Formats: sequence, C-alpha cells, structure tokens
Amino acid sequence: MPATDIAIVGWAQTPAVARTDATEPQLCMQANLAAIAMAGIERSDIGFTCAGSCDYLTGGPFAFVQNLDAAGAWPPIAESHVEMDGAWALYEAWVRLQHGDIDVALVFGSGKSSPSDPAELYPQQLDPYYLEPLGLDPASIAALQARALLDTGRATERDFAEVVARSRRDARTNPNAHVRDEDDPERLLAAPYTRNPLRAHDVAPVSDGAAAVVLATARRARQLTEHPVFIRGIDHRVDVHQPGMRDLATSPSTADAARRAGLGDAPVEVAELAAISSPQELIVRDAMGLGDGVAVNPSGGPLGANPVMATGLIRIIEAARRVADGTARRAVAHATNGQALQHNLVCVLEGES
Amino acid sequence: MLTGVTSSTGVANLIYRPTVPDSQTVTTTLEFPYRRSLGPVVGGFMRALGEHRILGVRTPAGEVLVPPLEYDPRTGAALEELVDVGPGGVVGSWAWVAAPTRRHPLDHPFAFALITLDGASTALVHAVDVAGEGAMRAGMRVVPRWRDEPQGRITDIEAFVPETGGQG
Amino acid sequence: MADETMMDDLVTLTYEELLPPNTVRFAEALVDGRILGQRCHVCARVYVPPKGYCPLDVVLLDADDDVEVSDRGVVTGFTIVAPVRYYGQTKTEPFVYASVLLDGASGTLGGQDITGVPTDQVHAGMRVRAVWKPKEERTTKGQSARGWGNVEGCISSFEATGEPDVPRAEFEEHVI
Repeated sequence: MPATDIAIVGWAQTPAVARTDATEPQLCMQANLAAIAMAGIERSDIGFTCAGSCDYLTGGPFAFVQNLDAAGAWPPIAESHVEMDGAWALYEAWVRLQHGDIDVALVFGSGKSSPSDPAELYPQQLDPYYLEPLGLDPASIAALQARALLDTGRATERDFAEVVARSRRDARTNPNAHVRDEDDPERLLAAPYTRNPLRAHDVAPVSDGAAAVVLATARRARQLTEHPVFIRGIDHRVDVHQPGMRDLATSPSTADAARRAGLGDAPVEVAELAAISSPQELIVRDAMGLGDGVAVNPSGGPLGANPVMATGLIRIIEAARRVADGTARRAVAHATNGQALQHNLVCVLEGES
Repeated sequence: MLTGVTSSTGVANLIYRPTVPDSQTVTTTLEFPYRRSLGPVVGGFMRALGEHRILGVRTPAGEVLVPPLEYDPRTGAALEELVDVGPGGVVGSWAWVAAPTRRHPLDHPFAFALITLDGASTALVHAVDVAGEGAMRAGMRVVPRWRDEPQGRITDIEAFVPETGGQG
Repeated sequence: MADETMMDDLVTLTYEELLPPNTVRFAEALVDGRILGQRCHVCARVYVPPKGYCPLDVVLLDADDDVEVSDRGVVTGFTIVAPVRYYGQTKTEPFVYASVLLDGASGTLGGQDITGVPTDQVHAGMRVRAVWKPKEERTTKGQSARGWGNVEGCISSFEATGEPDVPRAEFEEHVI
C-alpha cells in the first residue's frame, strides 16, 4: 500500500464541443482556473504540475510547451508532461506526491481533435513498418475488435446499440457532453454500417476540450474540503502492440491493472470507463468483472464527449464527482491509450471511510 | 481527405469528418520525410516479400510470430530465427471498408482482416480483396496477391484474395 | 554484418483549425495597418499578438484588453541564417532573423527581416519601423492559432529609421 493517501480535492472540465475556436492553452487555462478555485487553493500552493496532451494531435512539435502558459510557469514551477491522456498525468502526480515533501499537485489534460482527420493522424501511433503503411485507421481497428467480440458469441450488435442508447440518454444530464440525440436501439440498429460491423454511432465523437484535477495529500485534503475523494488504488498495464498478437475481445491489461488497483477488494457502485467504441465498454466491463448493479458511464462516457487526451481524466472526474456528492461510496475510473485497448489505467476512488 | 459527410446527428466521429467552409480557418501541413533502417528481422521480412515469401520469427517457446518482431513480447528475448510461413492462411476477424481513402491499400471497397498464415502462431493485419462484405467470413482461406514491382514494404503484398479463385 | 535495408516513409499530416477570436482581431487590424496587443489587467504587460490570456498571472483576457502598439521599435537581437538544405527548405540566400520589440509591447516579434542597412550592419539596439505592404496586397496569410505572431501577410520587413540606437539597458529584459 502507498505510504501516503492521496485525495482529489478539486476538478473542472471545459464543456466538450465538436469544434472550438479557443486555443488549447486557453482551454487548459479555463479548466485549471476552475479546478484551483474549486479546491480553494492558491497557485502558489501547488508543488507539482503535470499535463497530458499529444503534440501530433495538436499539430506542432513541442506544442505541449505552450500549454504550460495555462499553469503559470513563472516563477519557475516543478512540472512534467506526458504524451498521454491526462489520466496518466494524474498517475505521475500521484507518484510524485508519495515522496511526502509537497502536498498539492495540479493535473490537466487537453486535446483538440477537430483540426485533424483521425484516419490520417491515428495511424502515426501504429507500428511504422507493418501497420501504418496500410493506412489502418481507428474506425477499422475498432471494427476488427467489434467483430472479434461478436464472433465469441458473448455480445450482439443489439448489445452495442443498447450501450450507445444508454450513453446518449445519460449524456443529456451532463452539461459537458455534446452527443445526446438518437437513443432508440431499434433506430440505431437501422442505421447503415460505416465499418461493418460498426455504425457511426458506435464510435466516440470528435471533440475539443480540457480538464483539470487538483490532488492533495490526505492531511491537506481534509483541511481543504469536507468531501475529499481518496485514490484507494491506481495502476496501469500495457498489452502487446500488434493487433494480431492478442485477443482483441478481451483486455488482460485492464484486468491486471484492476487487480493491482484493488478493484476487487470491495464492490463499486459507479464505473466510468474510457471505452471509445460500444464494444469496448463490454470488453472493459468484463475485464473488470463489474456486476449488473454497477452504473456504467452515468456521465454518458466517451460516446457523449471524447476530448482525446482529456477523456480518461474526465472519467476520473466523473467518478470522483459521484463519490464526493454521495451517489457512490466507491467508484472506479478507467482510461485507455493506444489502439484497441492496448494500454489501460484503472483508478479506484472512495470517500472518507 | 476531408470528406463532406456527417453522421445523421451532424456530429463528427471517428469515421467521417465535416467540411466546414470558413474564412477564419488556417490550414497547416506537417511533413516528416522519414527514412527508416529496418535491421535484420524487419529487413529480412521486407526483402523476402520481393521473393514472394512471407517470414515469421521463432521464439524460444517455439511460437512463430507474424509479423516478425525483434523482441519476444512475452519474455523480452531478442529474436532472430526467421522462418517461412504461409503464404496462405485463415481469416479471423475482419472489417469492411466501404469507402477507402487514398491511404488505404486498395482504391475500391475491401476488408481489413487478421490473417493467421499457415505455420504462424499470430495473425497479420492486411487487406482482403473481395467483391463485397457478403464474401467475407471468419475461417475463409486466403492467399497473397503480389505487387508486380516489389518496394520492400508490407504493401508488396497488394492484398489477400480467396484461395479458391481470384478477385470477385 | 550490418543490414542496410531502408524504408522511406513520408508522413503528411494536415490540420484545419479555426483561428481564435484574439488572432482574428489581430489579423484584421494588421490588414487595416494597425498592430494589436493585449494588456494584462493584473501586471499591465502587453502581449503582441494577443494570446487571450496572461501566462504569468494566469488570467483570461478578452477584446476589452486589446491595445494598439506602435509599428516602430528596436531590434533586441538577431542572427544571420545561412540556409541548409532540408526537405521543405525554400530559402537559398543568407537572411536576417531578428527580434523586434515594438514601442508599447512587452515581448518581441520574432523572425523579422531587417532592411535598409547592409546585413553586416544589423545590430541590437537599432531603431526600426514596419515596412507595410500596400493595402491592397495585405492578407491574413501566416496567421495561426499557435499565436507566434506572424505579420508576413501585411508587413514585409522592418527597416532602419536612422534614429540613434537604444541603450541596451532599455531592452535587455527582452533579448530573445
């Protein structure tokens, strides 16, 4: 067990939109200011800052450096960056806080997907010899994973449609989501395939947005808020990259991370999963061993809003929100990286016991 | 590249991109002219394609990884024993690409598929060239169709086609 | 025995981005022959072009914070670049790459060409003024959401004014 309990004491996200005219630093600053205000701290209280973003997504080498404008890097601050979803920036900040010499950290994640075409961009994260030259786009990979799951007999296309329908209904109660329409599984199933066996609605939208979280050590957290949300366990594991070298219908790295994060120690009421396609939600649920009584993606999940590089951090926020407001005593959040659930992070949250 | 199709909800998704004419947009193109060294394992695979051979690499546990990797994902051991596989194999999962882009290997509708070649322990991702999605099924046998002029790239296999006949 | 097999891979990525309101205002003013900055209401620094925020105070700024700065200023630093051949290089002759601190601005405009003096006489401290393109030739070309301050669509260079040099102490905080 970690020597130091760490809690989430503040958070914020910009309302995700299909296309914004704000710059990424502007989005980050909005999120950071709101999270800092919620936590009730001064910027000078922050001992470590960590950000998650992707230069390829932003469209410029070292673009992440400009995002630091949102953290106020003068006088000089102790900061780090990961070319990952902000959930991994949170992981790094959690590790940093274990040292015990600082007691507050700021984490943020951001991404504007609207300027680029995922089919052109995402192959750049694939093996450059065997996969990228095929133009293997994310919709195709999602569809390969979907069919792999269908072929096991453990899920049907109707199951996919029901995930989408539920996500859209729930997104209506989330002011930060933007895909909230058609929620009738029959009508969803009547839509044409865009990448047989997937339909357009089966994959997460393109969104622009940023999110921020403030972490504090337990002692400091209790001074800052009456409802600290404790990170009881956090872990991440990665599977082999080549899609043909693993079973796409399962997620061993999610199961492993969940076990190491102690998910199985007690039941959870809420699970926020960063599944960017409807079949992925079923795969992740299965890997985590979540029972039917667990509310999955009450925020609407990534199918409601998918600001890449913030999506996973937002799952942690949405899970933390429901612990802080008493909806859940214990919740789990999941973030993913790479394609077809190659790399997965699991974060278990609990209120004060 | 920016196809002008939106989903019925008007929301952009992973598959189609909206084209929004706007006087206040800026278009930037980044180009990275990489020239990659391939080494003996990946280079051996690419050279063999020019000879109409497909290679995998044998692991200490006796598996044959296709495509060949330089290190065993299970143990981290360096791998170097290249062996012939296929050239035919069996389709596992597949996905139908109804509207290919110029980045795809074929300029007409095709399937991406995971293909386990004869003698391989793992599946290769590649294209399968058939007339329609109705012709695709898990378990079908396919063989490679070779590019006339090899370039030392994975696309020296133009696509896989059903073993029993040519392109539908 | 080294394996010499190589694989060419030209990666091309295209981004189509909306300009933020602060950059749109900057670009439109530039076409109109004015240079806009934005003054932080906390520290009073003036950012050219406007960023929509102050990165030192971490406050958001908007159109109410816009201010006009002069099109005259001082060269704070420069280099003469001898072009190297690489994929995408368009320059063939050595060129000046100078930073100009406009009167009223707290930061420099980078990458400017200095004209009106031989290249070997360009020096930090020299007073310069914008050489504006004729109004009908001005465009918003080169603007970007990254906000690095491109004026090339409207200003072709900065030329020496012939005024006395500025003492280094007056601009040494902006030597970059």
